[in-house]
Amino acid sequence: MSETPATLLLVEDEPEIRRFVRATLCAEGYRVVESATGRRGTIDAGSHRPDAAIVDLGLPDMDGLEVIRSIREWSPMPIVVLSARSHERSKIEALDAGADDYVTKPFGVGELLARVRVALRHAARPADGGMVLRLEQATVDLERRIALRDGAELRLTPIEFRLLACLARHLDMVVTHRTLLTEVWGPSHAGDTHYLRIYMKQLRDKLEADPVRPRHLLTETGVGYRLRETTDD
Amino acid sequence: MNAARTWVGYAWAVAATSACTLAGLAMRARFEPVNIAMVYLLAVVVVALRASRGAAIATAALSVLAFDVLFVPPYGSLHVDDPQYLLTFAIMIAVALVIAGLRDRLRREAEAQARLAAEAENENVRATLLASISHDLRTPLAVIAGASSSLAERGERLAPEERRALAQSVFEQSRELSEQVSKILEMTRLESGGITLARDWSSIDEIVDSVLRRQEARLASHRMMVDLAPDLPLVRVDAALIEQALGNLLENAARHTPAGTVVRLRARVHDGELVVTVEDYGGGIPPGDAERVFSKFHHGTLEGGGGIGLGLSICRAIVRLHGGHAWAERVPEGGSAFHFALPIEPAPAMPREGMAPA
Repeated sequence: MSETPATLLLVEDEPEIRRFVRATLCAEGYRVVESATGRRGTIDAGSHRPDAAIVDLGLPDMDGLEVIRSIREWSPMPIVVLSARSHERSKIEALDAGADDYVTKPFGVGELLARVRVALRHAARPADGGMVLRLEQATVDLERRIALRDGAELRLTPIEFRLLACLARHLDMVVTHRTLLTEVWGPSHAGDTHYLRIYMKQLRDKLEADPVRPRHLLTETGVGYRLRETTDD
Repeated sequence: MNAARTWVGYAWAVAATSACTLAGLAMRARFEPVNIAMVYLLAVVVVALRASRGAAIATAALSVLAFDVLFVPPYGSLHVDDPQYLLTFAIMIAVALVIAGLRDRLRREAEAQARLAAEAENENVRATLLASISHDLRTPLAVIAGASSSLAERGERLAPEERRALAQSVFEQSRELSEQVSKILEMTRLESGGITLARDWSSIDEIVDSVLRRQEARLASHRMMVDLAPDLPLVRVDAALIEQALGNLLENAARHTPAGTVVRLRARVHDGELVVTVEDYGGGIPPGDAERVFSKFHHGTLEGGGGIGLGLSICRAIVRLHGGHAWAERVPEGGSAFHFALPIEPAPAMPREGMAPA
């Protein structure tokens, strides 16, 4: 990070949470703009033009979803959401509204930093789905549609390739069931989660060292899936 | 329903009076009319005890009518020759009223008593809840307050590794606290019926994997063994809730069995249900406690197990919400097994797909 430090917008009403998040982000070399309300946040997003936003979903003046939507109207900047535990539905809504990832409260700063780093990296060089995935046991060339496992060719179906490509476009980030189903099978199948369960199992059987304890094709229960290339982190 | 009960009461009145009339006709040759009146009186008492005040009065009135017409001279008319029968009628009505009144009072008292008992039980539950919360939440709070004040006030005098250890314990204890608070909220939501299931076709393999990742730190002290039957069917459940139910079983095993022992997680199909089992090799549930462990705020026997005793009740409530059931048993070779079973529905078909052209 030798260039100018990235600017992060933090929209959070709790001053104590802002305090430790700001302290941590600043210690990591980021510049932080703080907004205590949703309204302030949408204005600050326009005037400060941050590189990414961290948005709390439970704001007093307006729904965090509104903040996300209003930013998405004009900017593709990465948005990481802070959400309360066991509110899968609000996480899904936030992701469907355009957020890139979420961290569940209470969170450790390590988790938040990891998500922010991935989101920034992703914004800097968006994956186009035509990349080569290097997993522990297998390599998948998504553009040429060639998969190898331990050097031998591995046969993947067209849908398996498409599913993998969709996950790879959001590498290291969560992708909701709805997004996957819509992009791979089409909008009329947005609710057919059983398709996903069956295909994810097939993919794990083919690509994972231990399909029951996958290290690349990870489940985000009730929300979606996350593809990880490297297993350290 | 109340109207139906009223009608049943009047039906009783008619039936009892008719039965007495038949009996009276049979007795007529050999008994004084006054003894027949006693039979009617019995009917009034029985109806007054069993049905409403109105039905009791109706029985008395019908009895007086029938008695007067059939058994008091001149027969076949309502005219009464002997004034002593008027006394009989008055007594019959009075008995009906007194007995119905007594019965109403008894009923009201019984209801009041039941209400008091229910309130007392509620009060008891609330007291247990408060005692439990204050004990189980205060311990992590005490650690957090102590460790953080030490860091804030004496931080610069502590060795770096001590500082790190204190900060770490603040972090861990606050996570613990947060989980306990979530459990209390979850139980409240489950009990108030405030949860609508977000059911989706879900894979138990994925739920198991996710819960094991989430609980990795807690389960690190035990030897985890996972045994999933191949090709388990999909289940239409709220995966986040089922993950929580399973997580609570694992947490329970880790809390209440000695470190280093085996915790075994199994899933299989049995009798048309998906059965998930968490088995441990700790002390086992005390005999006769297999049902009690699921009650709210029940604490296990292992000292220092922690937790507020809600995990298993939440697990059962979640599973029941899905039309399933949860139970526990002692394992013969020592230890306990906690199971839950979820109904299996046929999954919808999915179009088959050919292989990619090479």
